[in-house]
Amino acid sequence: MSGRPRAFLAQSGVASVLGIGVDEFEASLYAGRSGVRTDAGPATAGIADFDPREHLGKKGLRSLDRAARLLCVALNQILSDPVPPKSDDSDGLGLVCGTMLGGLDSIVSFDWSGLSDGVKYVNPGAFPNTVINSAVGQAAIRFGLTGVNSTLSAGASSGLYAMHYAAELIRMGGARLIMAGGVDELSDAALDAYTRMGLISPRGVVSPFANDRDGTAPGEGAAVCVLLAAEDASAVDDAAPVELAGWAATHDPCEPSGYDPQARGAAEAIRRALADAGIAAEDVACVVSSASGSPTGDAMEELALAEVFGGRLGEIPICCPKAAHGEAMGASGAFAALIGALALKRQELPPTRGASSTSLCLSDQPQSFEGKHALVTALSCGGENGALIQKIWTKN
Amino acid sequence: MERVAITGLGLVTSIGIGRADFWSALTAGRSGISRVESFDPSAYSAELGGEVRGFDPDPYIRRQSGEQMGRASRLAIAAARLALDDARLVLSPEDAAEHGVVMGTTSGEPRLIEQYNDTRQAEDSSALTPEFFPQYPCQVIPARIARELELRGPSLTIPTACAAGAVAIGYGCDLLRSGRTKMMLCGGADAFSRITYMGFARLGAIAPERCRPFDRNREGMIPGEGAAVLVLERLSDAQARGAKIYAETLGYGVRGDAHHMTAGHPEGRGAVAAMRAALRGSGVEPDEVDYVSAHGTGTRSNDRMESVALHELLGERAARVPISSIKSMLGHTMGAASAIEAAACCLALDTGVIAPTINFEEPDPECPVDCVPNQARQAGPKIVLNNAYAFGGVNASLCLRRYEEPSA
Repeated sequence: MSGRPRAFLAQSGVASVLGIGVDEFEASLYAGRSGVRTDAGPATAGIADFDPREHLGKKGLRSLDRAARLLCVALNQILSDPVPPKSDDSDGLGLVCGTMLGGLDSIVSFDWSGLSDGVKYVNPGAFPNTVINSAVGQAAIRFGLTGVNSTLSAGASSGLYAMHYAAELIRMGGARLIMAGGVDELSDAALDAYTRMGLISPRGVVSPFANDRDGTAPGEGAAVCVLLAAEDASAVDDAAPVELAGWAATHDPCEPSGYDPQARGAAEAIRRALADAGIAAEDVACVVSSASGSPTGDAMEELALAEVFGGRLGEIPICCPKAAHGEAMGASGAFAALIGALALKRQELPPTRGASSTSLCLSDQPQSFEGKHALVTALSCGGENGALIQKIWTKN
Repeated sequence: MERVAITGLGLVTSIGIGRADFWSALTAGRSGISRVESFDPSAYSAELGGEVRGFDPDPYIRRQSGEQMGRASRLAIAAARLALDDARLVLSPEDAAEHGVVMGTTSGEPRLIEQYNDTRQAEDSSALTPEFFPQYPCQVIPARIARELELRGPSLTIPTACAAGAVAIGYGCDLLRSGRTKMMLCGGADAFSRITYMGFARLGAIAPERCRPFDRNREGMIPGEGAAVLVLERLSDAQARGAKIYAETLGYGVRGDAHHMTAGHPEGRGAVAAMRAALRGSGVEPDEVDYVSAHGTGTRSNDRMESVALHELLGERAARVPISSIKSMLGHTMGAASAIEAAACCLALDTGVIAPTINFEEPDPECPVDCVPNQARQAGPKIVLNNAYAFGGVNASLCLRRYEEPSA
């Protein structure tokens, strides 16, 4: 292992229902605020007052769909930092993002225009946004990102898979610095799908792991983190004290909307991530969970955690940020990685709203802990299981 | 670091199904282009497409319900089974968590969007069942393959549009080289779709008669469909089981143009950077490249840009190194294209024969390249670059090497 580059997490940018910018996001999260709304019908966690002009100015927004705008707002925070990341690779800065649906509204609308207006009246300028990687492409053009340019899709785990991809690239020597994250927009078509599939909580409350949980709230957002390479932690300054120490992904052969009730893949992903980080289950000090309020999904995650942690599970502080920001699809895994880093730095997990569980260490208040390692999970319906081990680096 | 072998090729294309049929059609210069049949193209001021005809993927779907499954998933499952059969690889279930799949796509399952809009227009939502929607998100394509073949390792999609297949193969290769997995199925799949067709038609990009990359009188690209899956294994495993090794995959590069969503950078900035990154990651010098599988769409701007980029990378050798585009035969199969082209590169490395660029008549002074016009050529390449460029300004290059048996 020695001498192999390791991936450290530095600046981040966020566009979320809990706030724009990491500071607002962190403050809302730790204050226990919720972005879930029920005033407009089914429970959703869309960003009601999202105005990209406030953050990006008016220029050049017309060609960007909502997903691209969310991503650009998050990226802008990183790139307008007084000390922006600088790639020592002559190719320039790179970006890799996870997305579940891409700019779905752009795709549906483009086809709809052909049906309703007639092919001859379809705006060809709307075609480029119909590719699933359009948000990353648009962001790269806007900010002049000439480095690695990639998009990944693994359902609701996409954001964490993008972190895996970027960290792997660093470990393999393919990049010294790369921005990684996730993005999805809450489009009418996505909301229609969540509604017709019966995935939305009828009570309008996202209560992960609770006995009375009855669904989630579809959300949206973007989060991007800068990952840096360093051969050894002491070469990294105080700005990047969190390492992506281990990760793994597995798949369960279930229906596209289902979960493996035996949690085989989920448990395997966590075990492999621990092994990749070279630690034991006992070393994990806290868990940032992907539980979304789904009756079957949360049951699978609890079983996987029980398989890995055994009797100690009830003592490990857990938080479920989807209770606050809803199911942000491709952004969820990136939010989770960011939250894991924040928690390690503070040695305190954010609260989980409305938490109630007899067997898990969940709380509607912030939970402090002592330890170096956080486990972040991203378990998607359809079988994509991602796990990430983060490690805090402290001087001494 | 582990070396990575390609040991199986599965193809579902408009000119042939399976490795052998595909390769004999490709080296014979056969075209898969004809008038579009899957919908009426008359409204689109274009009519040609590269559709996969007369092939029923359903017999390949054995471990799950194919009902409601999108066409890209069907094509992909068929290609995956064909690839695994071609590799004569029997996967051991105890290693399943180290068997993964990475698939590239441009549009995923666009026909589900079309169905969705059709139901809206007909104001009849009875088809929009809870089972309908989860067939759409593009990670279903590898997930369906994983389920079909009992792969329990990483399963994900790389939706980097028309560069997707090459990136999927590159990332799968990285997962093997890092020791994370033992076997990866990698490739790309896209289904013929009215959305894609309408988009290229409205851009005025579709050729009226033929796709003729690098020809002075080229008039555009032709949308196509298909799937290709490659079996990637650790070289040591492939050798140990006495597998047929088509080629080694060495590395890839993927770089942004940061220029325009649909047009490449005029000097090929990202294209050059991607090729250099691929070569650097492969430990290969530009001088060693002796065949380039071009992106070569047949549009005026792409082929000119690619020629400029190749001259930048290869210098004066760019006019001599064979650079062919099989899109002249298949049309542009979107996210599948660079996976199908990677398979063609493997076969070129294995057999020594380079597939031609058909429909070539008149050289273009703006594209001074040897595009292997109209006839396949025995050239015995050792190192090849497979280029793929995409909407979003994505440029990908994959570097493959001929496999040499270790001397005893």
